[in-house]
Amino acid sequence: MKINVMQDVLQANDRIAEENRQLFLKNRNLVLNLMSSPGAGKTSLLEKTAEKLAGKLRLGVVVGDLETTRDADRLSKFNIPAIQLTTGSACHLDANMVASALPHMQLDKIDILVVENVGNLVCPAEFIVGEDYKIMILSVTEGDEKPLKYPLMFHESALMLINKIDLVQYTNFNMGEARANARKINPNIDIIEISCTKGTGLDEWIAWLVKHHQKKLGELSHA
Amino acid sequence: MHEMGIAQNILEISVEAARKEGASKVIRINLIAGELRGIVPMQLTFCFGIVAKDTMADGAYLDVEEVPVAGHCKNCNSDFSVEEYEYVCPKCGSPNIELTGGTELRIKDIEIE
Ligand SMILES: Nc1nc2c(ncn2[C@@H]2O[C@H](COP(=O)(O)OP(=O)(O)O)[C@@H](O)[C@H]2O)c(=O)[nH]1
Ligand SMILES: [Mg+2]
Ligand SMILES: [Zn+2]
Repeated sequence: MKINVMQDVLQANDRIAEENRQLFLKNRNLVLNLMSSPGAGKTSLLEKTAEKLAGKLRLGVVVGDLETTRDADRLSKFNIPAIQLTTGSACHLDANMVASALPHMQLDKIDILVVENVGNLVCPAEFIVGEDYKIMILSVTEGDEKPLKYPLMFHESALMLINKIDLVQYTNFNMGEARANARKINPNIDIIEISCTKGTGLDEWIAWLVKHHQKKLGELSHA
Repeated sequence: MHEMGIAQNILEISVEAARKEGASKVIRINLIAGELRGIVPMQLTFCFGIVAKDTMADGAYLDVEEVPVAGHCKNCNSDFSVEEYEYVCPKCGSPNIELTGGTELRIKDIEIE
């Protein structure tokens, strides 16, 4: 006998993500799901962001990474709440893992919560965690054809940061190609070129954050 | 590898749907997977075989129907399939399009006994 099911495979995850979202709404948090390959510069970006936002907006971070990295320790040095989820062999954070970190955070004392996802260009894009936006980092050492190989992540992201542009002269990374490939998959994607080590482009990134935080507050006051 | 987690979810949804019908066995599952999901059917069926072992879906055939990326032009109202991630309308050239297919990941139906 054949029976109709018509159910989304990830509905269990999406339900928990919605619960997270409601909690974030109540606490007026802008929530970003930050994704990239391993080593593209997620933690470095958050270190710089903590520095630049200090005294302006309150940042909080949930980090999911393999057991060996100590990203939360790196971030705690900047006096921001940072919770590390040790994911073991998991290749992405799902809504349930993020939910498990939230009771340990004072969400009402946070303006922008960033979820640093596990380094991987495939799996994290599949699982929403309750974020307002997905954002991603592509570093110039990875190659400009990445958008065409991993279309979902580029398609789902509101912003692509191109990091390590201080190294671009030592690679065959073509900036024009990278931008064109990303825009092909996602015509509306914002693109900012940065270098976390040199500080290039970081003001533009902070401006993006501030703008989207204000937009979020605007939506909340109309809700 | 996200195929393992996805296989687990497919199993749970199918078994629950079959139980509701009072079935004793799941024989076949028809899955719809959008091209943008990047699902590798062989990996997925392999993972499914592992997680389904010793459940009522043990040995069930998992069919993965891949759905190409499709778009709708908001400018000229035409519907088309998106080739090579070229996100512009093939008819009028407008980039003002919305995706109508390619991101789904859904169990369509199952066969039980
Ligand atoms: N040259 C250069 N190295 C960078 C830049 N950003 C990060 N890195 C280095 O890349 C490595 C991985 O960075 P990390 O922030 O830990 O990456 P994550 O795995 O994405 O969190 C570290 O050694 C960083 O110092 C950059 O803009 N330029
Ligand atoms: Mg990191
Ligand atoms: Zn058109």
